[in-house]
Amino acid sequence: MTTPPSSRGRGFWLLLGALVLVNLTLGYVYAPAHIALQHPPVVQLPNFLAVIGVPGQYLPGHVTFTWLVMAFLVIGSYLGTKAMKPVPGPLQNVAEVATEGFVGFLEQMIGPHGKMALPLIGTAGLFILTSNLLGNIPGFQPPTANWNTTIALALTVFLSYNYFGMRRHGVGRYLKHFAGPIPWLAPLMVPIELIGHLARPVSLSIRLFGNIFGEESVIVILLSLSWLVMPYLIFLGVMLPLSLFTAAVQTFVFVMLSTVYIAGAGEESHDEGH
Amino acid sequence: MRMPGEDPSVIKQLVRLSTIGVALVAATAIGLAIGYGLDRWLGTSPWLTLTFLLFGIVAGFLNLFRDVGLIGRHD
Repeated sequence: MTTPPSSRGRGFWLLLGALVLVNLTLGYVYAPAHIALQHPPVVQLPNFLAVIGVPGQYLPGHVTFTWLVMAFLVIGSYLGTKAMKPVPGPLQNVAEVATEGFVGFLEQMIGPHGKMALPLIGTAGLFILTSNLLGNIPGFQPPTANWNTTIALALTVFLSYNYFGMRRHGVGRYLKHFAGPIPWLAPLMVPIELIGHLARPVSLSIRLFGNIFGEESVIVILLSLSWLVMPYLIFLGVMLPLSLFTAAVQTFVFVMLSTVYIAGAGEESHDEGH
Repeated sequence: MRMPGEDPSVIKQLVRLSTIGVALVAATAIGLAIGYGLDRWLGTSPWLTLTFLLFGIVAGFLNLFRDVGLIGRHD
């Protein structure tokens, strides 16, 4: 804008400037009331766990929404499989597609006995996907945006794959693998392998929690700048597609890594020979 | 020999590659935490912290090389 604008153009820029100033002022005055974090979530349960020492007037949001997702999945699965028909209805169709997808994936990654991990992996995958997608609805908090939820999932996976490994190879043979193939290197390899295994639930949970929480935070901060009108466009045009993509990808990452861990625990002892 | 978790799809390999960074940091952090905890318990600061930090870094890189080896397999 180096050239002097025409009078009509100057009027337009003056109007725009005034608008921005007014918006800035109003924004600074009213912005705190509009920050999405301060908006209460649409579902709040009274804190009946106060008897065992949980503080607060309401239950923590991630607990409430975990139960919401659980209820959604349980009722959906029940309705989908209540009356199985040879020609499936819509809900049974969804249930069948999800189950077959997970079974196919597990058998591809683990092998013919991969179906044994279906209850764990399938449940975790559906729960994480539903939770992540829940975050895209205004007023809902994704439970996976809290580290407590994701560390619970990751610890379940951690204990499960160790259990699967021990059940397949026996406790002694499974633990012996931690010593590595070379006997005199064992004192060095045991702590390294232990740390490597302990890092798995940490990285698994932090990855999921970090992605979902970060995405939520960006959206919250973006929408708290609502005096700029633009954030709504950015939200709808960029953040919403992006967070839908993140939700799917992070679910896939969690499911795939869990499967790889279970496959590794099941197969480990076989490739000691080479 | 078919390794567990081998998958030819490019997107799945990219997703697996994207997981390496956090795993490396997590192993290092776990090693540091164990060493720090042991040091506070046994009062041998700073030797166990350094040792286990080293173990953690090695564990992280070991996992990294395993993952990369798994990804780069074409047999």
